[in-house]
Amino acid sequence: MKIDVEKSLLWSAAGAFVFFAVGAVSTTIVPPMVDKSLWSSEQPVHEYTEQEMRGMEIYRREGCVYCHTQQIRHLDSDQRRYGWRLVKAPPSESWEYVNDRYHFIGTKRTGPDLGRVGGKYSSEWHYAHFKDPRNMGEKFPDRKGIYEKASIMPSFAYLSDEDIRDLTAYLQTLGRNKNWRVDENGKPLNDYEK
Amino acid sequence: MKQDTAAKTMVIVSSLYFGLALTMGLLTALKFVVPTVGEIEYLSLPRVRMLHTNINLFGWLLQANMGILFWILPRILHTRLFSEKLGVLNGVVYNIAVIGGLASIVLGHVKNVEYGEMPTPFDYLVALSWVLFGINVIGTIAIRKVKYLYVTVWYTLGAVIWTTFVYITGNMLSQLPMVTGINQANLIWFYVHNAVGLIFTPLGVAIAYYMIPKQLDTPIYSHKLSMIGFWVISFVYVWTGAHHMIHGPVTYWLQTVAIIFSFSLIIPVMAVITNFFGTFATAPRGTRMKGPIPKLLMMGTVYYIFTCLQGPFQAIRSVNEVVSKTDWVVGHAHMALFGAFSYYAMAGIYYVAPRMAGRKHLYSEKLGDLQFWIMTIASVPFFAVLWISGVVQGYAWLNPENSFVETLAAIKHAHIARFTTGGLIYLAYFLFIYNVLQTFFGKYPEEETTVAE
Repeated sequence: MKIDVEKSLLWSAAGAFVFFAVGAVSTTIVPPMVDKSLWSSEQPVHEYTEQEMRGMEIYRREGCVYCHTQQIRHLDSDQRRYGWRLVKAPPSESWEYVNDRYHFIGTKRTGPDLGRVGGKYSSEWHYAHFKDPRNMGEKFPDRKGIYEKASIMPSFAYLSDEDIRDLTAYLQTLGRNKNWRVDENGKPLNDYEK
Repeated sequence: MKQDTAAKTMVIVSSLYFGLALTMGLLTALKFVVPTVGEIEYLSLPRVRMLHTNINLFGWLLQANMGILFWILPRILHTRLFSEKLGVLNGVVYNIAVIGGLASIVLGHVKNVEYGEMPTPFDYLVALSWVLFGINVIGTIAIRKVKYLYVTVWYTLGAVIWTTFVYITGNMLSQLPMVTGINQANLIWFYVHNAVGLIFTPLGVAIAYYMIPKQLDTPIYSHKLSMIGFWVISFVYVWTGAHHMIHGPVTYWLQTVAIIFSFSLIIPVMAVITNFFGTFATAPRGTRMKGPIPKLLMMGTVYYIFTCLQGPFQAIRSVNEVVSKTDWVVGHAHMALFGAFSYYAMAGIYYVAPRMAGRKHLYSEKLGDLQFWIMTIASVPFFAVLWISGVVQGYAWLNPENSFVETLAAIKHAHIARFTTGGLIYLAYFLFIYNVLQTFFGKYPEEETTVAE
């Protein structure tokens, strides 16, 4: 029997499906089967508290991901830029995210990456920054000058204080599954945290 | 029910959504220049941005494509639409989904799926109307009066099959409780990329494959190239989702696989483009660029080449290191969805609108030409400034001495240029919608003179 695909609805549809299915299965089902670090971790991973989960949902609702990624890529420039003092930020690994009910890896950096922002700024700093990113008040003199002119982050002054507290609690967890900000004795340095 | 009711309704409604989508785009661009504009919760920058993408993809482009194909398929298959009632139901369910989804976005009820922010139950309604569309497509093919299936039919059939799986994976499976972190990210990028690649590409190409030979009155250049284009894209496109996470926290081999297949996309794209240009080249010289329809088809194809050459190259690791996460990618996405596929959809609407309305021709070819030229002259710099600013910022990021905010200040000029050129595109839209509405509902000058006689 000669099959003429171009005359047959059935064969066209079956062909299009099979061709597609090979790639679909190989890129969605196979990776987690081969690479367990996509869904499990041998090292302890932070379990979010209820408050942090609320913060995560606010992060989603307000669409933070459209301007802020959450991944330190395996690139020297990323590791230095998002490092702390002179410590390079370690690149993000898949196991660090296994407890993230919602992923916010992101694809566009209109603002800086937040992959390892946890603990870098005090919660007071975040509060002032959410209220008005271009005018954080006298308390933060290093945010004068170019920040007032060039920052294009929207103000989130419409969030309630409770919302900002929840959101900040979530931000302060980011990137801390690797304990990377340590002194020479390996003790965690958390001088910014309040 | 009257023939083409569903097609007509969807074409008109989608054209109106197009304006709303552009409004949101312009507002987003304005917020990049003056961040304090419209500082209220419901119009915050990320929400306006989500509205912009969702209205464009679902309100405008997908709906316009469905409407145009509801008109084309019966003509190509020499039959009627399988069920006009089902088509109308499809349109109603779909628009309830879109309106509900958009309202949810305004109120902040969203999924963490880019291009799929519409929450449950509206995403399920989108899926349902897609199934209704599928039944109508397959039904119309089944009752056809011709033996052979033309290229347009393959692409439409392919899109119906692929999109069902792509949409369910990205919007439903990715939200299951055990799917978290990078595993979830992988499923969502599978959807995001294939939303463009396996929904809008095949539907747009399907329309162009019908429109170009019809409008130019010239047979398609090469049947073999059509086959190569279709079968290679159906195999190759789906592998590329992970190229959104190059250098990122996802399995290294998966990135490599995505890069290789992203690069292979040059094959089907070049096959399709050679075919389109070949048809243009063999068409009668005097009339092949007459009026807005062939111009839109031609320019859409030019944008299609550019965006599809950009894609493979920006997936290469070294190029990706500079351009990824910058405005470059925004320029790339705009050229695909606005430059290529919205141009095809506008050409399609200009073609089907007078035929649906029972007119001999478009209300005004001159206005159509004017709209084409304004849009084109504005959109070339619109894309270009985004690439320039992307490269500038990408290189600036390589040096950690440049603070982030300094790299942002360096591309202010691009954001201003994007707003102004975007404004011109917005103005040209009003010529388009005026022309379409006049064609459907307006009075033609020659009709008035006959009345006077």
